[in-house]
Amino acid sequence: MTAPAIEVRGLVKTFRTTRALDGLDLTVAHGEVHGFLGPNGAGKSTTIRILLGLMRADSGRAAVLGRDAWSDAVALHRRLAYVPGDVELWPNLTGGEAIDLLGRLHGGQDRARRDELVRRFELDTAKKGRTYSKGNRQKVALVAALSSGADLLVLDEPTSGLDPLMEAVFQEVVGEAKAAGQTVLLSSHILAQVEKLADRISIIRKGAVVQSGTLSELRHLTRTTVEAATATPATGIDTLPGVRDAEADGRHVRFTVDSEHLDGAIKHLGGFGIQALTSHPPTLEELMLRHYGDGDAA
Amino acid sequence: MSTIAPARGGTAPATAGDGPLTGTAALLGLALRRDRLKLPLWITGIAVFVPYFYTVLSVSGSQPGGMRAFAGLVDSPMVLVFTGPLFGFDEITLQRAFLTYTIEFLLGAALMNILLVTRHTRGEEQTGRAELVRAGVIGRHAPLTAALVLALAADAVLGLLMAGAMAGLGFPASSALLFGAGTAATGLVFAGITAFTVQLTEHTKGAAGLAALALAAAWTLRAAGAAQAVEGGPWTWLSPLGWAQLTRVLADERWWPLALSLGLAAAAAAGGYALSARRDLGARLMAQRPGPTSAGPRLRSPFALALRLQRASLLWWAAGMVVVGFVWGSLAGAMRQGMAEAIIGGGEDPALAYLSLMAVFMTVIVGAFTILSAGRLRTEEVRGRAAPVLARPVGRSAWFAAFLATAASGSVGLLALTGLATGAGAALAIGDGALVGELLAASLARAPEPLLLAGLAAALYGFAPRWGWAAWAVLGFGCIARFWGESLHWPGWLMAVSPFNHIPRMPLEGFAPGPVLALAALAAALAALGLYGYSRRDLDG
Ligand SMILES: Nc1ncnc2c1ncn2[C@@H]1O[C@H](COP(=O)(O)OP(=O)(O)OP(=O)(O)O)[C@@H](O)[C@H]1O
Ligand SMILES: [Mg+2]
Repeated sequence: MTAPAIEVRGLVKTFRTTRALDGLDLTVAHGEVHGFLGPNGAGKSTTIRILLGLMRADSGRAAVLGRDAWSDAVALHRRLAYVPGDVELWPNLTGGEAIDLLGRLHGGQDRARRDELVRRFELDTAKKGRTYSKGNRQKVALVAALSSGADLLVLDEPTSGLDPLMEAVFQEVVGEAKAAGQTVLLSSHILAQVEKLADRISIIRKGAVVQSGTLSELRHLTRTTVEAATATPATGIDTLPGVRDAEADGRHVRFTVDSEHLDGAIKHLGGFGIQALTSHPPTLEELMLRHYGDGDAA
Repeated sequence: MSTIAPARGGTAPATAGDGPLTGTAALLGLALRRDRLKLPLWITGIAVFVPYFYTVLSVSGSQPGGMRAFAGLVDSPMVLVFTGPLFGFDEITLQRAFLTYTIEFLLGAALMNILLVTRHTRGEEQTGRAELVRAGVIGRHAPLTAALVLALAADAVLGLLMAGAMAGLGFPASSALLFGAGTAATGLVFAGITAFTVQLTEHTKGAAGLAALALAAAWTLRAAGAAQAVEGGPWTWLSPLGWAQLTRVLADERWWPLALSLGLAAAAAAGGYALSARRDLGARLMAQRPGPTSAGPRLRSPFALALRLQRASLLWWAAGMVVVGFVWGSLAGAMRQGMAEAIIGGGEDPALAYLSLMAVFMTVIVGAFTILSAGRLRTEEVRGRAAPVLARPVGRSAWFAAFLATAASGSVGLLALTGLATGAGAALAIGDGALVGELLAASLARAPEPLLLAGLAAALYGFAPRWGWAAWAVLGFGCIARFWGESLHWPGWLMAVSPFNHIPRMPLEGFAPGPVLALAALAAALAALGLYGYSRRDLDG
């Protein structure tokens, strides 16, 4: 395959005194669903606006589908579709009109797909824009984007406001898009959604990517949590290499350990007679909390 | 399930003709669809005054001495300030007398263009819809271009409609066309100026306000030029409103002053394009300054919030009114020199008659502030910002009263400043210091007029929030009744309905407490009614 769907190198964007992006790198391969995570104000929407050619970076390179995001914006927009987290509609146009208009502005729409999505999202297309609830406005933009047949879907918190049932429909539809070969950049705060959909994840913090890879790669880089009950109180755990956060309460212990030292830790526990053992890799939530806090990152 | 098979991999194909203007036609279609009601109403609403004014004029012209009264128009500096420059009035005809209404058409066209261009450019960015649209196959300059093309089309239709109406009334076809073209070209100037101002501010209000400021400046320059000479002095040539009149319709006609209009329209629009290329979508040109990190000690009540929200706008209004008041006040000097027979008020002192009229005129402008300011209640509600406040221990009546009090005190404050500025201008021009106090009193005596508008806005807000525009209709009606009602021979009851026809015209006439108190009481009653309705109805948004 040729150039990646999205290739960003050293992106910098400063708003007066705020450095929103500080040398951001991001690569999204063709056909993958890429989760884009980070705390509030980390720079996700700013990155996306630059990728859409709506903002100009101070320095760095942003290439989408092999072309420059700023100077080739119009040509690129034939092949990508966008859903913002806060959709505003025209007050005197119906939802159906807005979907078709956005489809036309994009340069094409799969009519059958549009009607199907309207049905699956249970959207009343005859209502005027001013009377839609937040979730329904969001659905209008989703249907327009997902029926466009774009090669690349750029979704910035696309399901804020959707109910859990519609959230499930969204996940199904993105799965179908992926099966059809579409590339998806998905910025989201809903970790379950990202965990389920994303092939790869980039975590961004203070305008720079702090980690990028598949979920299992990210997990591998981090620590496994172990809880055990032993026949005799386990001692000396906290001095083992790679072990941290050890807590002992009588015959119960709980600690985290680097992936490469897991084997040694379990062997050590064996000496005390293991009666019960659970170990789990960090959930995405635990992964994220590491990065979201102000402490040292991973 | 139908599937879609996007082309995979590789680079995006270059499509011939993709450029900054791609998608303009689609956006134009959208704009037409959105404005399918609004724009035809604007255009016919302006053009219908051609037959209306002309018919009314022919009624007064057919009365004994009617035509002679028209010829006397140019002898009154005050009439000139409001209508000039005028050409060919030494040989007055009914058709020439019609030209005294030129300014009204130019102002109407300018307002239509200012609102049209802000609506379709900054209005879309401000709501975030532009982000959705621009993620489509839409060139960087397509939205501005679509707005300007729409303005051009609207102006062309307006010009042709007016020309057609005039030709139908018996004006020579070429003169009718020149008059229509002058109106259209002036409209286009303000479309261009607005294309520039929408780049400077983040919100439609600011952009439209700056363009309106340019319009007020143009009006003032034209008025100053008209005071210099019947056929316009040097100042007239500096005013975009003057150029349309300098085509000398129905005298020795010439088209070339309109080239100035087209030139300025093009230059201002070009400036707009240049600025828009240098900024991010949704941003203004200058980056937002960081503000205080915590609230000041006084920001603790709904009233303090209402005042804080309108602080900037209030300061702009104050600055604008002071300048306008001072300039218009100083024109009183020209009135005193041309002690000819003033048609408004017969043998009265023309300077005092002029100043009394100006006091009304500026009260009408302050009335626009009043309605805008009271309208904040509605904006806060539909944008969903009122609900979180009302969910705290803040009663509806406190919230309602806070915004109404801001509108009322702001209006009275503006009236005081305007009166002082007008008085200062007049006092300097005439050399009579007592005028400062007299004009301050004249201005403040009119306070019940804007207060009545605030009360009306409040009542509408309480009972029919979607009908808020009706307050504008009353202001427009009051303005027409006050300035043209008499010459249009409107019946007494119709004149009595207008809020602006009851308070005596100071300093020409003396103060009368009756109408002042009556209007103030009516305003308070309407406000109380509004509060009653508001505390009972559902909240929108
Ligand atoms: N137009 C702007 N002017 C000034 N600062 C801005 C502007 N847009 C964004 N910022 C700042 O840039 C930083 C990044 O904002 P951005 O919207 O990209 O964050 P985000 O990652 O999308 O956050 P969220 O998860 O809350 O959506 C923030 O500090 C924000 O305040
Ligand atoms: Mg965001």
